[in-house]
Amino acid sequence: MKIDPPRFAIWLLSMRLRDEWRDFVVGDLEEEFAARHGDSPVAAHAWLWWQTMRCLAAPPPTRPNPSLHRPSQGDSRMRTLFADSRYALRVMSRTPSFGVAVVSVLAVGIGANTAIFSIVNSVLLRPLPFEEPERLVRIFTRTPGGRPFELSAGKFYGWQREAQSFEGMAMYRFRQFALGGTGTARAIQAGAVGAGFFEVVRARPTLGRLFRPEEDSPGGKYVAILSDRFWKTELGGAPDVIGHTLKLNDETYTIIGVMPTSASVASWAAMACDIWVPMALTDEQRAARGNHNQQGVARLKAGVELAQARSEMDAISTQLGREFPNTDKGWGAVIIPMQEEIVGDRRTMLLMLLGAVGLVLLIACANVGSLLFTRTLGRRKEIAIRSALGAGRGRVFQQLLVEALLLAVVGGALGLLLAHGALTSASTLLASQVPRAEEISIDARVLLFVLGVSLLTGILAGALPAVRAGRSDLNDALKEGGRSDGAIGIGTRRLLIVCEVALSLVLLMGAGVMTQSLLALRHGDTGFDPNNVLKMDVRLVDTRYPSPAQRSSFLDAALQRIRALPGVEAAGTIDDLPLKEGSSQTLDLEGYPPQREPVAVQVRQITPGYLRAMRIPLLRGRDVVESDAEVLLVSRDAAKLYWGADDPIGRRATLPFSKTVLRRVVGIVGDVKQRNLSEATTPTVYFYTREPYGKATFVIRTSVPPATLAQPAVGAIRAIDPEQPVVDIRTMVQVLDGGLTSQRFSALLLGVFAGVALLLAALGIYSVLSYIVRGRSREIGIRTALGARRADVLRLVIVEGMSPALAGIGAGMIASLASAKVMETLVFGVSPSDPLTLAAVAATLALVALMASLLPAYRALRLDPVRVLRGE
Amino acid sequence: MWFKAKAPVLGDFEQLVLLGVLRLELQDSAYGAAIRQEIHARSGRDVSINAVYTTLERLEIKGFLKWWVGDPTPQRGGRRRKFYALRPAGVAALRQAYRAFTSMADGLQARLETK
Repeated sequence: MKIDPPRFAIWLLSMRLRDEWRDFVVGDLEEEFAARHGDSPVAAHAWLWWQTMRCLAAPPPTRPNPSLHRPSQGDSRMRTLFADSRYALRVMSRTPSFGVAVVSVLAVGIGANTAIFSIVNSVLLRPLPFEEPERLVRIFTRTPGGRPFELSAGKFYGWQREAQSFEGMAMYRFRQFALGGTGTARAIQAGAVGAGFFEVVRARPTLGRLFRPEEDSPGGKYVAILSDRFWKTELGGAPDVIGHTLKLNDETYTIIGVMPTSASVASWAAMACDIWVPMALTDEQRAARGNHNQQGVARLKAGVELAQARSEMDAISTQLGREFPNTDKGWGAVIIPMQEEIVGDRRTMLLMLLGAVGLVLLIACANVGSLLFTRTLGRRKEIAIRSALGAGRGRVFQQLLVEALLLAVVGGALGLLLAHGALTSASTLLASQVPRAEEISIDARVLLFVLGVSLLTGILAGALPAVRAGRSDLNDALKEGGRSDGAIGIGTRRLLIVCEVALSLVLLMGAGVMTQSLLALRHGDTGFDPNNVLKMDVRLVDTRYPSPAQRSSFLDAALQRIRALPGVEAAGTIDDLPLKEGSSQTLDLEGYPPQREPVAVQVRQITPGYLRAMRIPLLRGRDVVESDAEVLLVSRDAAKLYWGADDPIGRRATLPFSKTVLRRVVGIVGDVKQRNLSEATTPTVYFYTREPYGKATFVIRTSVPPATLAQPAVGAIRAIDPEQPVVDIRTMVQVLDGGLTSQRFSALLLGVFAGVALLLAALGIYSVLSYIVRGRSREIGIRTALGARRADVLRLVIVEGMSPALAGIGAGMIASLASAKVMETLVFGVSPSDPLTLAAVAATLALVALMASLLPAYRALRLDPVRVLRGE
Repeated sequence: MWFKAKAPVLGDFEQLVLLGVLRLELQDSAYGAAIRQEIHARSGRDVSINAVYTTLERLEIKGFLKWWVGDPTPQRGGRRRKFYALRPAGVAALRQAYRAFTSMADGLQARLETK
């Protein structure tokens, strides 16, 4: 087998080497790389890169080679560049502290940028790990209200029959299985996939085969395909696994295939499952049009545009709406590219963060520019001598620029290491914050980015001092005791401070608004009280609890045992907790004409105790009790929506999935944020039935820290059925926080960036002021000698520092108001140009600027006029 | 210049490369990577491939080497090899260097070979 060497290295070599050498050198390296790869792939890579670097630095010469025949005349560009680098290194080694300061500022700036860019690169830029991922799309229905929603089988098959834009279209949904035969109850996540699913995704098994069409029917045998992970951890990677059986939900499944590692894609739940089984819908289920609980995926035909597919699906949906007016009228289709579906709303956030971290780099540039500037002024005499000896302006410019570039490249290399370290140590944190986190790595594109950013930084930070140095007056510089440095380029550096402060203010404002938004979401009114609540999920399996009565008595018994635990105040169940998608249905009211445009409300199945456990206020009427059968609670908004001004209590209604059962409304309760924290509360109808289906989340209100009850509560359920899996045991506060990861992530990062920016700005003010004080020490000395008071000197220095800072604050306020638009979609409950935050941020910056001015001011105060004047 | 020797003296690395060619040319396998590996294996110097080719080029200009290009092979990604062989002048130069080295080292073996 031929082993491919790193393509980037080969590409670099091919670019650098002349035609006459390319084949021989690259071929030799490839050949030896392959030989070394057998011993140690890592060492082989290291060797190849080392060889590449050396070839890049000094490739074999071309013929006729002038350097062999005659000594080179004058300065070739490369030669002076090397000489400049050597000289820069020598200068740097004389004052290592300066180099260290500049390099560390740049390393922080470039490192932060590299880390964020690596994330952006992996999440947004790199294609998804599927074959031809750009053609993969997710399909949803569009509710009459315009929201994307899960599919119903009937609608899906209607689309599949008619649509021409797709190569394939498949349905799937998630099932949770209890893995039997292992003694303890364990839940595993399975994907129930319709025919053609793996063909659409283009996943091929390493062992065995895919499902056959006849296996996707209720009469078919129970068969399963394993994920690589499940196969290795549960079955030890046994090669003869095909044909063996698994006990899932008390049914025997035959293993027919194993998927490769590459097929497991953590960012898409359908391919992150432990196992896959056929969907095997009955004919009745296939025809169901009103029950929306399926997911869909499809692959566009090559050359078909998204817009084309969308308009075709819309046309089909309209057609279906005419055919099935009861169920399909008003419903449409939504097609979303897979990448967009996976990345979702994180895109804006990531781009905002990339912009923010770019600002940090700009501040770092300004800072380094200011430092280099000061240094260049200190070397005025040296530069003047060089000019006097015949160095042109261009030469001086080049030399100073090379110095800056050298610093920037070293800073970039360190920044790369920093970024790598940060990404590695934050990988677990990242996994919960961004999609595709497991794919984040530093690749060739990131390396190119670092190189580009480093060079750009060097040019930005180095150009200004270099230009300025070329302009300095020879005579003036060479004069003995030319100590008026303090007056040179002050304007330029003031401008740099203005920029630094302004950029810092924009960042601080972003961080402030983001934090406020986070607090508003976290502590805003959700309609329930999340503190001291424990939740856990239980899914009763049909095979073990086939009848509704059995399920009902299980729930009753479990709740009874849980309520008996010490520290439990109330306990109940609900099918889908708030902050999670759930069923959305329309009600039919008894004694009212059917609504022309029925509005769907959230519908939840609860048991008595749920309201008390969540502390959802009961506004009127009464709570459901055990002796009830088939009763409803409606939220205030739902009551208004359906009954208008009438009193709903005592009236009856039916739910679409059981049109024969008339349920009586017994109470009106408060509204709750059912869907997510950033949306408003949603009208909701709760029903309590003696015939529950098997999905239940236990909600337990405790008088002790809720996490301590996790073990006893699980024990209570195991006492009834030791084989029943209990999953996702968390406190309600954790659930709430879980819904805020992206806001928390951006608030945290923005906070860090703003902190760094503030520090850099303070450093900038401090260094420039110190420099000014040193340069003007003579003037200050004379003033003191002439009787200036301490307060005068203090004012002199502080005004010097504060005036550019205040100008920067002003400019920054304008800039952050102008950039408020970017933040608009990212924040909640607070305006991105919130005047109070802006004022607070401006005050903070002013305070920091004042603090940064104090130390140089103190130095100025301590100047001894006698010594200063004698020092001439 | 007037003091420059007519026949250029071989540098230390040039000697290694010429010896590498001499060792490998009998099997018709004196090309860059093979010479590099030979030098690495025998002298312990892990030199870069560009250094080898730069030296080969210089020796060729001096008239010590001739070369030809082989056929592309699959294990090199379909790239060709550049083979080298010594010209008589190269053999002579190497012989001269060898003679100088052995006669200078004559009688010193005992001291040079101890570690």
